Amino acid sequence: MASADRLAEVADADAPIIEMRGIKKSFGQVVALDGVDLTLEEGEVLALVGDNGSGKSTLIKTLVGVHQPDAGTISIRGEERTITSPKVAREYGISTVYQDLALVDTLSVAANMFLGRTPTKRVGIVRQVDWAQMNERAEEILRTRLNIEVDTTKEVEFLSGGERQAIAIGRALVTDPDIVIMDEPMSALSTDSKSKVRELVRSLNDEGITVLLISHSLDEVFSLTDRVTVLDNGRLVGTVETDRVSKDDIVQMIVAGEMPAGADG
Amino acid sequence: MIGASLFPTVGDSEERANQLILWLLDNIIWPIVLLAFVIFSVLLPGVFSSAQNIQFLLFSSAALGMLVLAESLCLLSGNFDLSIGSIAGFSAMFTALFLHEWFPGMPGEVGILVILLVGATIGLGNGVAIGYFGINPFLQTLAFFIIFRGAITILSSLSVAPLPGAYTFLGGSTIATIPGLGDLGPLSNVPVAILVLLALYAIAWYVLNYTRFGLAVYAVGGDATSAKEAGIPTERVIVAVFVISGALSALSGLLFTGYLRAATPTLARGDLFPAFAAAVIGGISLFGGRGDVKNAFGGLMLISMIQIGLVQLGVDAEQIQFVNGIVLLGAIYLYAIESRLRARVLSE
Repeated sequence: MASADRLAEVADADAPIIEMRGIKKSFGQVVALDGVDLTLEEGEVLALVGDNGSGKSTLIKTLVGVHQPDAGTISIRGEERTITSPKVAREYGISTVYQDLALVDTLSVAANMFLGRTPTKRVGIVRQVDWAQMNERAEEILRTRLNIEVDTTKEVEFLSGGERQAIAIGRALVTDPDIVIMDEPMSALSTDSKSKVRELVRSLNDEGITVLLISHSLDEVFSLTDRVTVLDNGRLVGTVETDRVSKDDIVQMIVAGEMPAGADG
Repeated sequence: MIGASLFPTVGDSEERANQLILWLLDNIIWPIVLLAFVIFSVLLPGVFSSAQNIQFLLFSSAALGMLVLAESLCLLSGNFDLSIGSIAGFSAMFTALFLHEWFPGMPGEVGILVILLVGATIGLGNGVAIGYFGINPFLQTLAFFIIFRGAITILSSLSVAPLPGAYTFLGGSTIATIPGLGDLGPLSNVPVAILVLLALYAIAWYVLNYTRFGLAVYAVGGDATSAKEAGIPTERVIVAVFVISGALSALSGLLFTGYLRAATPTLARGDLFPAFAAAVIGGISLFGGRGDVKNAFGGLMLISMIQIGLVQLGVDAEQIQFVNGIVLLGAIYLYAIESRLRARVLSE
């Protein structure tokens, strides 16, 4: 399932890689998303920002198939798609790095990276986990794509916060995605680790991977992203180009739920 | 540590030293087993270390060994099972009546299928309740512990015997009785139950370390939420664990029946705690995701050696319980030290 195969199915090469239109989602009486649009252009880093409860996580979970929208459409490269589970999302080339990283501390780095997709080989009549291949591929992904040297047979609990984040990103790369969604990747990290993870995001993007970054930190947003989409209370406030606005503009969008004067949508 | 590497690898020398210490503590059961063996051999010269005694040690451990394996599997998946002894007793009594009273003349092989099916079905009940309905495993399996122990006396308050030879074969026969096998000299007298014991531990070790299912069991036990997010079907894994645990408990009941040549109303009663103790002494974590069944086998050997050695020394049963308690407490303290050391290594 290389990305080349997916590119071959392209219906409209100029269409955005992801286009969500009019997404609505309610949980009981609570309206979490009220007709939100989100566009992700190929090769960009887009920030998704907004206060707690603004609907960021719900929007992402809708995109990766954890939730189903009540209304609205999701198109991938111009083709309307129904994404029923994170597994389906991965098949469309969308990988997610969860905020809690979803690592099992007692398992090794390699076992974590391939958890749920463990490579096997046939030995006689049984299919056996191919530890050698798994360790090797994990090591290769971390070294060549994230520039990290870790003993992949080591349990994850022995790693630092930044290394753990790298392993979680490494896991997202196992399926060779076109799009990586990162939910608050730096919220729980030390300053050192933050700058390391920043480098990781840049190197992903340099490889041509489109990144959707959910963030609370404006420093992070301004140092990493091309565009910023702001949500407020389940509504889209707007999308702006990062280098055409100030931090104050973004704060105003988050707090007041209004576009800053003079900014385009 | 699971996976291909036997020893922890690379890192700076201090880190390596720490990991080596943790590795030694993880496998500490084997030096202890060796030490216990040497001590009993010295106290019982010419008796304890004889081939015949070692054979007896393994033979008399086989049925308990299946319960240890059942419990270890549940513990590794982050659950536990109090009903294993009751499942062993109930499935043994049910199947004995099936063969002896309800369907006399039924071949013993059918009995083996029936007993495994009964155990697996009870395990399925545990697994569905715990995995899908989120019932606390302690409460669920405590209820089954009581229900099925009580159900045995409803079925029969008397021992049931005789039973077909094919049915008691696994638990009570020697290799010499395997059809088509020639004379194996001294090996002919090795009980089949020993082969069952060794084979089941080998299979369990292989499955846990080298199959996707085994990896999933460790993942669910280590962190069920993360395992689910990573795409592991955690509910199904838990159901499978309890079904296997139930089937292993039934196998224990089958081995006990063969060993005793009868299904007794007290079969496997009181064996829950020795099984638990052997697993814990063997370093299977009560918190899930940590441990290795080969070390649980070491725990089984230690418990059995103490039992047999003390009987041979003329110590009475009550006092043996006292010693077992002390050994369990020692093991608990040892692993508490280990987890503190691990925490210290981790915080560096």
